[in-house]
Amino acid sequence: MTADPVVATAPVTFERLEHDVCGTPTVVLAAGEPAAPPLVFLHGAGTFHGWAFAAPWIEQFRVLIPHHPGYGESGDLEGLQDPHDLVLHYVELFDQLGLTSDVNLVGFSLGGLVAARFAIEQKHRLRRLVLVAPAGLRVPGVEVEDLFHIPPEELVGRLVHRMETILPYLPADPRDVDFNVDRYREMRTTAIMLWEHPFDRVLPRWLGRVDIPALIVWGEEDRLAPPALAPGWAELLPQSTVATFPAAGHLVLDESPEASAAVARFCGEPS
Amino acid sequence: MGLVDQAEFHFFHFFPYTELPPDHGERESLWVDFPNTNYDPEVGHRLYNRYLSEMVLADRLGYDGLVINEHHNTQYSMNPAPNLTAAALVPQTTSWISVFGTPPNLGYPNRLAEEYAMLDVMSGGRLRVAFPLGTGMEYWANAVNPATARARFRESIDIILHCWTDDGPQSYTGDFYTYRYLNPWPRPVQKPHPECYIVGTGSPETIELAAELGFGYSVVFIPRVAQLKVFDHYRERLAHHGHEPTPDKVAFGVFAYVAESDAKAEEEFLPHIMYFFQNNLRTTPRYLNPPGYVTVPEFRKRIQAPDVHGTANWDDLVAINRIVAGTPEKVADAIGGWIEESGANRLTLNLTIGDMPNWKVVKNTTLFAEEVIPRLRGRAARSDGAGTRSATSATSATEVVA
Repeated sequence: MTADPVVATAPVTFERLEHDVCGTPTVVLAAGEPAAPPLVFLHGAGTFHGWAFAAPWIEQFRVLIPHHPGYGESGDLEGLQDPHDLVLHYVELFDQLGLTSDVNLVGFSLGGLVAARFAIEQKHRLRRLVLVAPAGLRVPGVEVEDLFHIPPEELVGRLVHRMETILPYLPADPRDVDFNVDRYREMRTTAIMLWEHPFDRVLPRWLGRVDIPALIVWGEEDRLAPPALAPGWAELLPQSTVATFPAAGHLVLDESPEASAAVARFCGEPS
Repeated sequence: MGLVDQAEFHFFHFFPYTELPPDHGERESLWVDFPNTNYDPEVGHRLYNRYLSEMVLADRLGYDGLVINEHHNTQYSMNPAPNLTAAALVPQTTSWISVFGTPPNLGYPNRLAEEYAMLDVMSGGRLRVAFPLGTGMEYWANAVNPATARARFRESIDIILHCWTDDGPQSYTGDFYTYRYLNPWPRPVQKPHPECYIVGTGSPETIELAAELGFGYSVVFIPRVAQLKVFDHYRERLAHHGHEPTPDKVAFGVFAYVAESDAKAEEEFLPHIMYFFQNNLRTTPRYLNPPGYVTVPEFRKRIQAPDVHGTANWDDLVAINRIVAGTPEKVADAIGGWIEESGANRLTLNLTIGDMPNWKVVKNTTLFAEEVIPRLRGRAARSDGAGTRSATSATSATEVVA
């Protein structure tokens, strides 16, 4: 398959849906035919790098990208404590969106952790699960640098293999107040959930329940969550395969059109 | 007796670790991750003894009280457990001992209530405390979530007040702490409890908390002019909550150095105050603001405000802080003016700062006690032969309650 970087950066026009999820104003970006099979994407701890990678999914799927509470355009979740609050938030949002079965759930990084936790409790709603460089699993023998340990000025560079992937999404002035305030808010929300327990207590004990087809996607140059974590996830997920992509960092979907295409292909495979 | 006559002068010591390696200037932060291999226990031993002797000297010279505080992972302070230092001071002193203080949410609040009660009982009712949230740096050093620190802070103070004022055993069920038998022994001598302050940088939430609880407010690290607005707001909220906004409710800090002439004072003081701002306080914005440590609107304000941690020049410092160096007249005039303009008369005095050598601390502390405080208190206080300690601290401790 030939790589066509234009595909991954093509603009996507999303419809902006607003939901009230038990008191939390929640924004959902939607694109694709409403009647197409649903693909829900759960984003990572930052929403600034856009959604261009979802462009190739729109032909086949109804793509739904909710902003987590405390991130992007969604409001804060009052009383938020840990990722389970997000699981419950999405149980309610899925109900509101009529997503009761045959959902393809794709979670990236922090969103991968939330997707995995969601799948443990709500696998009956899911058809396929894709975890893209998911966070939160402690794999013995694999060193993972704590997210909060990385100075913010280094963090952006650590997200990508090629800086040009992310440059279009950064403000001209690194001290841009609105940009930094938005990032602070997202890191604050992440800290509420993960500061004390960056590794999830539930995954190792319960992930084995998720016996639907699962794909684990990793960028081979991921310098935030090393690809060496992938086998740890695969071992816990009974029906999983691992796909790694060269010349791609943590934002593997943004950097590798093949990765984005692989997600679409996997979710489009017949059961 | 006026505002200035009744002022209290408290000797504040940060207990800095000052023997830094020659290449320390290469480090962006001397907090949080400054390696503790740079700490030499032999030096620490010598400095503890020296600093304790300076505190005892201040007590002998008649200062109203002694003040210590808490920081972690830093050369700024050798007091990660200030109650130990306070306990060492108790048998050697007669003035107030102010622990200003331990962030109550960094440990178990019943334990802090117990420790403070111990100090109050051991000292015969000479303890005062302030509750700081702690700098952002403390949250990198301790296993407490900065994003929930404020809620935990409020709950911790609530528990400490229950410990001190309720007859035990009680139970307490909070969001962060559950106590089945809250029944700490001992209880404080001072009733209902030692006088309390909240330490703040002017944020409305902290002011509201201090006002609601009827606590004093101790302000740090905001420009002098902004402080005056904060004091007004605090007093207005204090009155709103039914507490009298007396001048002793507000504590503010002063950096002062007294010498024979203004020129000599500046010459002797300047290197150490610059050392303090350039080295003791040197840290990064990241360590100052861990995720969630401040609210999102407060973060927006902070990233647009000037940085006082390690980069400020002298003009900024003088604008932000109350700093004076000069003859006794000059220092007394400046401090008298600050008391008048702020309507506040609890002063925490930084007469020793940074890497100031012992001889300067002794000189400055002595001259301030003998030449500045009497000028501020007026002729009567100077001639009564009873030292310089204020009238309020001579009353029985049990009468001085929050």
